[in-house]
Amino acid sequence: MATNSAIAGDTAAPEDHGSHGEEIAGHVVLLPAQVKNTLVDSTSAGSSRFMRWAIALSVLSVIGIVGLVLKFLAHSDDQTKWGYTAAVAAFLLTVGGGAPLVAVAPVLAKANWVRPLTRIASAFSLIGVVTMIVMIPLVAVLPPLVTEGARRRSIWFESPDWTPHTFIFLAMFTLLLAGLGLFYTTALPDFAAMRDHSSGWRQRMGKMLARGWVGSTVQWRTLRMRIGMFGTFYFLILIYVHFLFTSDFAMGVVPGWRDAIFPMYHAMSSIQAGVAITILAAWAGRRYLGLQDYLRLDQFWSLGRLLFASSLLWIYFFFSAFIVFWYGRSLADIAWVDLFIRGPMIWAFIPGMLMSFVVPWWWLIWNRIRTSVDGPAIGAVIVLFGLLLDRMRIYVSSWSVPPEEIHDRYLKHIPETVWPDAFDYMIIVGTTAAAALVVALAFRLVPIVSIWQTQEYQLLSKPVRYIRGHGVLVAKPD
Amino acid sequence: MQQRRVIDQVETNRVLLNGQLDTPKWWLPTVIGLGIVVIIGFVIIGFMVNRGLGVTGLSRPVYWGLFITTFVFWVGISHAGIMISAILRLTQAEWRRPVTRAAELLTVFSLLTALIFPLIHAGRPWRIAYWILPYDFARGIFPNIRSPLIMDPVAISTYLTGSTLFLYVALLPDLGNLRDRTQGWQKAMYTVLALGWRGNPRQWKLQTVGGILLSALMLPIFVSVHSIVSWDFAVTPAVEGWHSTIFAPYFVIGAVHSGVSAVVTMMALMRWLWKWDDFIRPEHFDALARLLIVVATAWLGFTFLELIFAMYSLDAPEIALRELQIFSWPWNMMFVVFLMTGYVIPVGMWLFKSVRNNIALMFWTSLFVNIGMWLERFMIIVPGLSRRTPFVYTWDSYRPSLVEWSILVWSVAWVTFLMLLFSRFFPLVPLFEQKESQIFVDRIKIGRASVPAILREQE
Amino acid sequence: MAVDVDKCTGCQACVLACQVENNIPLNTQDRFERNRSIAWIRVERYWEGEFPDIKARFIPIMCQHCENAPCEPVCPVFATYHNAEGMNIQVYNRCVGTRYCANGCPYIVRFFNYWEPVWPESLRNHLNPDVTIRSRGIMEKCSFCVHRIRRGVRKADSEGRPLNDGEITTACQDSCSTDALVFGDLNDPNSKVSEMKKSDRYYTLLHHLGTNPNVFYLAKIDEDREVAHASHESEGGDGHE
Repeated sequence: MATNSAIAGDTAAPEDHGSHGEEIAGHVVLLPAQVKNTLVDSTSAGSSRFMRWAIALSVLSVIGIVGLVLKFLAHSDDQTKWGYTAAVAAFLLTVGGGAPLVAVAPVLAKANWVRPLTRIASAFSLIGVVTMIVMIPLVAVLPPLVTEGARRRSIWFESPDWTPHTFIFLAMFTLLLAGLGLFYTTALPDFAAMRDHSSGWRQRMGKMLARGWVGSTVQWRTLRMRIGMFGTFYFLILIYVHFLFTSDFAMGVVPGWRDAIFPMYHAMSSIQAGVAITILAAWAGRRYLGLQDYLRLDQFWSLGRLLFASSLLWIYFFFSAFIVFWYGRSLADIAWVDLFIRGPMIWAFIPGMLMSFVVPWWWLIWNRIRTSVDGPAIGAVIVLFGLLLDRMRIYVSSWSVPPEEIHDRYLKHIPETVWPDAFDYMIIVGTTAAAALVVALAFRLVPIVSIWQTQEYQLLSKPVRYIRGHGVLVAKPD
Repeated sequence: MQQRRVIDQVETNRVLLNGQLDTPKWWLPTVIGLGIVVIIGFVIIGFMVNRGLGVTGLSRPVYWGLFITTFVFWVGISHAGIMISAILRLTQAEWRRPVTRAAELLTVFSLLTALIFPLIHAGRPWRIAYWILPYDFARGIFPNIRSPLIMDPVAISTYLTGSTLFLYVALLPDLGNLRDRTQGWQKAMYTVLALGWRGNPRQWKLQTVGGILLSALMLPIFVSVHSIVSWDFAVTPAVEGWHSTIFAPYFVIGAVHSGVSAVVTMMALMRWLWKWDDFIRPEHFDALARLLIVVATAWLGFTFLELIFAMYSLDAPEIALRELQIFSWPWNMMFVVFLMTGYVIPVGMWLFKSVRNNIALMFWTSLFVNIGMWLERFMIIVPGLSRRTPFVYTWDSYRPSLVEWSILVWSVAWVTFLMLLFSRFFPLVPLFEQKESQIFVDRIKIGRASVPAILREQE
Repeated sequence: MAVDVDKCTGCQACVLACQVENNIPLNTQDRFERNRSIAWIRVERYWEGEFPDIKARFIPIMCQHCENAPCEPVCPVFATYHNAEGMNIQVYNRCVGTRYCANGCPYIVRFFNYWEPVWPESLRNHLNPDVTIRSRGIMEKCSFCVHRIRRGVRKADSEGRPLNDGEITTACQDSCSTDALVFGDLNDPNSKVSEMKKSDRYYTLLHHLGTNPNVFYLAKIDEDREVAHASHESEGGDGHE
């Protein structure tokens, strides 16, 4: 098992930064009190810099909201102008919805490296609030099921006209609730820690949110059960939301586009983006909050591998659809290729493809890159930009199809390229800033690294000598 | 984990090499019996090649039938090996260890079997090799690489080569072991095969690196094989039930479902036949069943996505096809059987820990899965072709002939035969993995409790 | 090739002529029962309207010689390909009988030889020497009487003149008593088929599949007969452009 573990490269680094922990052969041993103190303190670290950032992000968020309102006043009757807004909503859903899966899936597989990352990952479900706001005008603009006297293709078949609008909204809301539930449940013991070890408003919030958590055996058992339930529920509802979102907001508005893999492609890129945003947040936490002992190379290495694997999966799901359309060559198939690949959005397709797959693939294939902190972070930034371009390619093309052609058996005229207007720029920048703000605020309330999960790992693991190298003995309680 | 017994290396050798050094009494009669079935099967294949495909139940427009179904089925089974060995190896799942060899073996033999089906199903099988392999440049015609039927042999033969290498690399330490414990011609054979394996650190390192490299390289091939098989169907715009973008991942996940189930079936047989109760333990079945619950549910999700987006088109032919596939006799009966055996019964039962730890129940449920998965392929392929198409006066269903059924039976016998033959000469449970796992397992004290723990390496 | 559906009487003479011309094996009862009969051209019947206001329509179907043929890219051995004249050619020698092309064909006009073809002794001498007899295990389909085309071209070449329109006829066309079938060169703007293509009755089968057939159909759509139009639509796709 000559695994190229990441720890070797990191051994020197914590010493330089004044590590609190005792380190034995790459395995940092931290006392429970150290963990608690460092992490509780991290919520108030760098306050002045945080304030500056928070103000800047708030201003941008307001600009975004203003842009959204203005655009709605100007173009509420013209669906073809809303492609970029739909793309942003899809982007936020993809990023915010996918990240918690990074917290859920490895936990189910009992992976230990993910423990310091669960908080980061689940916190991104809070972005759902922003997505919901963007959804309001979109749902209002979305064409009804019966347009021009005829029913368009949709997964709702014969249901009443208001169904897609209502159900997508309800589904997004359920997703938000499930994400909040997951975030809150996993953070419950940490709220108790905040209650016991911080001061001021944080302590008051902690007291309110901890809901009498004292860490009894019953409470722990209930907590584990709840985490499992919320995790599973979140996963299922996420798939469902992607299914509704893709079919109502993309497939349903393009005539003749029938693509069974598309919801899964969307969900797949959601996992990719979730990994990417987790890497980015971990990078920021390590850099600005001084958590080198907690967010270590091991985490970046594992996330880097996941990002690499999900990039491969991205191209696989893309190609599965592409080859069927490209090879099929029926008029509906040709229209798909014309609309989404070589059509109006080719300027987004090519860089999107490069940044979603080609560049991250060639970047992350090197173990040396994966066993660093900055390497996966750079890959993550590239992937996120690629994802934004990919979402623009899909949603701008879809929404630019004029409503009067929605009933055709296939798309007969490929629409012109739609370029973003000033409102679109405001919305793109503003909503992204708002999403960042929401997550950053969360980490002021509760530590960015889960206290109890870190402590638990410290209990379960023990460094040992193994032949001529070093190993860690990890307990596997049932 | 509680029932785990500490087994020393001498006992491990003795028990796990019983197939080779101390062949069980049932082995020879079983192999002879299967051999007769296999020979009869070959005679039937010869008869079919000699007389032509008229002896099958195929017609127009049902040009593909049971053979292609069985081809897809065996390719699907072959996905077990890499799933178990490579993916679980890369994710360091401990419970994979006793299963790896059997899974890889299943991969190799089911691929060998799968390859035969497109061959005998062609109108002029004697020409296939000549026309499809691109060696005859004098003709000036390269095979049509746009055809999925060319991509298929390329992918499958790559997969076969890779799996064989993978199997062989993992077999090397055990071959060295056998060489040191045999006499005469057997010793000579193992000496050649072991490639001078002595078990020194350098060899171990190379063997490990080789295994990990092959695992990583095989993963894309693993995915591509069944994807390409699915594109055999998905690229035809004229067949409504086939032209679906979801086919590639849908087939792959279905293949994993049926392949891992086949491994479970095989493990139960191995436990019974060779009495390896100490090595193949209920906990392994438990872990596999949990994996299967996830895989099966994902597969079911894909099945419904496929159906929903077929309905989504609202095209009359598409709807008619689904009516045929789901609601009309005899397909409705098959659909129910497929759903029950492929998902509802097995997964419903696996939800209970007592079932997951019960070898007999696991054996039967995993067998059910493969019945269901075979039916799934049959239900994709045949109704897709026998649907009511415009401009045709021949609408016909398809009834496989006796020849086709007997060749299906032959294929099962053939794989089992090869497996048993292999088991006579090579251990089915990797000894070195078994010993390694014994070293890696330890206990750790947390407070007053002593918890089982696993050693992870760090450099 | 142009097919005037309005002229077709459904007499099946073309089917028989094709059978004789192209050495198509006899469709015995057994072959019919097993749905393995071979007919390069066939006549389908549709009912138009409701009784008593009802009319039978006949539509001859043969290989459509698609420009964008679904059968071509899937053949692993290039046994079917597109030639420079725009015809879809079946090369019997290359065919290994995967039957993939037949699955890809939306018109179901490709046929597989399940058995070695046999004729009664009395018919052995009636076979057309210009046409290969297909052995078992390979695909066959309408060739547009390619042997007649080759013979016509050779004749024109030897006489040193261009090929005249209407000089080459297919067997089905020869036998058609109402001239419903017309064969010709679509590249020649003055040919009869090119003239027919300009008709407002023009349509192609299964247009939405984008196969772009070289066989086109002419049918008059009676505006009053909504039913007829609808049934045609569902059978033939949105044929009328």
